[in-house]
Parts: sequence; C-alpha cells; structure tokens
Amino acid sequence: MKGLRWILIVAALAVLAAVPWFGSDVLVQFGINALLLAVLAQGWNIIGGYAGYASFGNSVFYGLGSYGVAIAMVQWELPFAVGMVFGVVLAVAFAFLLGLPVLRLRGHYFAIATLALAQVMIAIVSNLSIAGQNIGLVLPPLNDDRLFYELSLVLLVAATATVFWLTRSRFGFGLIAIRENEEGAAVMGVNTTLYKVLAFALSGVFSALAGGIHAYWITFLDPASAFDISLNVKMIIMAVFGGPGTVLGPVLGAFVLSTVSELLSSEITSVAGLFFGLVVVVAVIFMPRGVADLMRRFRTTGWRYFVENLKAHRI
Amino acid sequence: MSAVLEITNVTRRFAGLIAVNDVSFTLNQGEILGVIGPNGAGKTTLVSLISGTLAPTAGDIAFEGRSITALPAYQRARLGIGRTFQIMRPFPGLSVLDNVAVGALFGHGGGESDLARARELARAQLDFVGLAKFADQRADELGGPSRKRLELAKALAMQPKVLLCDEVMAGLNLVEIDEVIDVLKRVRERGISILVIEHVIKAIKSLSDRLLVLHHGEKIADGDPDAVLSDAQVVEAYLGRRRA
Repeated sequence: MKGLRWILIVAALAVLAAVPWFGSDVLVQFGINALLLAVLAQGWNIIGGYAGYASFGNSVFYGLGSYGVAIAMVQWELPFAVGMVFGVVLAVAFAFLLGLPVLRLRGHYFAIATLALAQVMIAIVSNLSIAGQNIGLVLPPLNDDRLFYELSLVLLVAATATVFWLTRSRFGFGLIAIRENEEGAAVMGVNTTLYKVLAFALSGVFSALAGGIHAYWITFLDPASAFDISLNVKMIIMAVFGGPGTVLGPVLGAFVLSTVSELLSSEITSVAGLFFGLVVVVAVIFMPRGVADLMRRFRTTGWRYFVENLKAHRI
Repeated sequence: MSAVLEITNVTRRFAGLIAVNDVSFTLNQGEILGVIGPNGAGKTTLVSLISGTLAPTAGDIAFEGRSITALPAYQRARLGIGRTFQIMRPFPGLSVLDNVAVGALFGHGGGESDLARARELARAQLDFVGLAKFADQRADELGGPSRKRLELAKALAMQPKVLLCDEVMAGLNLVEIDEVIDVLKRVRERGISILVIEHVIKAIKSLSDRLLVLHHGEKIADGDPDAVLSDAQVVEAYLGRRRA
C-alpha cells in the first residue's frame, strides 16, 4: 500500500515533468501558473494549515521575492539565482521583523493585521526609486517556458517535501500543537513565539521563490500586481479546498481549482468569476476539511460524508 | 527535605479582583501537597502562576533554588515543571498517542528529537495511566474521565520533576478516583514532587502528605491533613459559621 503510493507519486511527477515536451505552449503556460499557485498554497499551508495562523501576508513574501529578482537583475545586473537568494533574504527578514509583533495576535486579529501589510508594502515600494516606483521594472526577457516550467516543478517538489518533513519532525509537531492549543503547547515546552516566526519565515521562503520565478517569466512587475492581495485569497482558497494541514491537499486544491478556473474563463468568460465563487462556497459547505479529507473518508462513509458536513453547518 | 518549589509572597490581581493574595509556601522534594479551597479561592490561578501561563503581580517563584518568575511558560516546562488543565485541553485533531508524544518531544530538558522514539515514550505513559487501548483514537473522541488521564499522560511524558495537577479527579466516580490516586502515588515513587488541586476532600486527604487551604486568595492553613481539616477557620470557609 505504502509502496504503491510512492510509485504513483513518482509516476505523476514523471508525467508532470514531461509536459513541456509533449504539451502545447498554452498548456505549458497554464502549467507554470498552476505550479506556482500550488507552491504558494503549499507555502501558506505551513503557517495557515500547520501552525493555524491564517496569514494574509503571504502575498507580501511573493512581492518581495519578485522585487528581489527584479532589483538584482535590472538595477545591479546580477544573475537570476542571486536575485532569488536576495528575494529570500528579504522575505526572511520581513518574517522576523513583522512576524514578531504580528504573530502575537490570534485569529481574526492576525488575519486583519497581515491583510494591512500588503497595502503598506504597495505604498512603500511605489516610492522607492530602486524598485522603479509606481511604474515598475522591466526584466531582461528569457524566452524559455520549458525552463520556467521545470523550475516551478522543482520548487513545488521542494515545498511539498518540506511539508512532508513537518509531519514527522519535532518542529512540525510543535506547529500542530500551537494550532490545536497554543497555551497547552507552551506549558509542554514549545517555544511558541520562535516556532511561529520560523513557520512564517519558512512559508515566506517558498512564496518568495515563487514570486521570483514568476517575475522573471512575466518580465514585468509593478507594485499593485506584485503585492496583489487577491493572490493571497487564491492561495488560501486552494489550500483550504484541498485540505489544510495535509501534505498533498494544497497541491491538489491548486491543480483542481486552476483547471476549473481556466476552463470556466475560456468557455463562459464573463460569469467565470461567479462560477468560481460558487464552486468554493459549495466546497466549503460540503467538504470543509478539503479534498484530502474527502478522499480519506469517502471510502468508509460514502455519500453520507456530504450529508454529515451539511448537518454540521446546521443549515 | 529540600524545597523544589518556593512560592514567596505571591499576589495576582485581575483588575479589581485579588485572585491570589500574598501567598507563600514550599513544595518539598518527593512530596504530595494538596491544595484545597472553595470555588474562586484562587487555586487554578496559583497553578497558572507556577506554570507560567500567568505572571504574578508581585512576589517570587523559585524552582530548585533559582527564581523562575521572569521565565516564559515553555522554559519552565523545560526546567521540569509539568501541569494538567482543569478544563481539559488535548490537541483535538491529534491521536491520543501523538498528544502524549508532544510532551516527549518537548518537555523537560527540551525533549526527544526523534519522533519514533517519542512515540515509544508516549506509549509507555499511556500504559502507565491505563489509556493504551485508546492510543490511535483522536483525542476529541475520548470521554471525560479518559481525558483527565490523557492530561496526566501528557504532563508525565515531559519527564517533569514537579507535576501540577489541576482537579484531575473532578467529575470522576469513586472507582475512577481511586485509580487516579493510585497513579499519582506511583508517580511520586518515581521521585516526582506533586501539587494537587482538588475539590474532593476525601480523596485529597488520603493522598496528600500535607494540605494547604486557600480562601479568597489567601492561605488560611498549611500542615498535616488531619489537623488542617479540623481547623476551625477551614471548617468555616467550607461550611460557613455555625449559628448557636
């Protein structure tokens, strides 16, 4: 059973890795977007799914990663890899500087505080000449979608491997303990402040790397698109749809919802957003613990699974 | 006997309310100290002050001769102070075994870093409190009495030197109370000093080496259980003044 699962995962990876060699340009471009969204959802999973802190600040990490690459390549004429490192450094610094005060807040207050961070960053970056102010930066173009695709895939594998490690490490157990009962975790010896900040930073590293790849691929960025809060909403929806606090849930959620959203927008453009919203609402009502939980339990409970969730909402 | 915990003139105010007022006492090595008092006497506040989830307004708390008043809760846990919660707080989404494993992964001295080894230690604690058969259940599926035991197992997995028990017997029937008393006595045999907060006076009398009584946040008696329970002030606090 366990061996079979690994074989399936390796096979799925092989197929995914081969997509640029047999797929159309459109498919590869869709793939890059879906993979990067999956990385973002997986990154959010660390702070939101495991530590239980619903962060709206992950799009800030994404933006910092984008600007890290853009500033390094455009202003300093450094290679892409150095830009990625610079973006990660910015994200980690941000996680420590702002995580310390913000992670003292819980629940809705934490969400609201992080929500404000993205707006503040837009204002700050719009006034920095090194970041091209509100006009933005244009990166040197590299027309190699195959490379961007494989880079995104490698990043997603790294993010997922990290989350897998969380499920069997002391650090991961500390985060889960914080999510389940923070005071209980502290009296058992979990350094809650440190663990939360580390989780925020780790989640930021992956978001920043995704932002960096995206910036170089798109070759243009401006403050409003780099720190777009709707991207943060997207990653939360995808992680929650797939199953927060699970290893493969957020990846699954990102793939499924990216596909749904793509199909809808190509078929029925104007009302696509509405349908997307409808899918999310229905999913939250009928499978609040995500696709991962559905797949685990459906075998034993069958269709009752949906009825029970419906009842749990008292609708 | 040497003191493990020394509480010196500790006070805790909540706005206008003084929950714990200038209380001093010691917990000796290998001792079971019972703390009783009517509802609202400040018992749980006292445990929170020692475990570090609340900071005292005034006074000092020392553990093994060193002041821990300024230390956060997790550092006190690493020094060897374990506590249970009156309102049981398992990690609901985790299995019973993994709830206890968290104690083994962290706890006294920073804990065991290997998950498999931590789970082994956790299983031993579940055996010790009699919960082994529930190991793979989710913690929130346990009934009340079992949750009390889970609280104990979680704290014990931390390998503490001092165990603070906040009403681990409340809501249990007589048979279950006897079982918990037996568990606590065996915990003491491991060399762990225990502070037990309890409502069930009969239970605590047979368990404690020494009894301390809190009333309106103040210590009104401290000593041999029989002597304390026959003390006029204690009787009055519990039963009210006898009217002739």
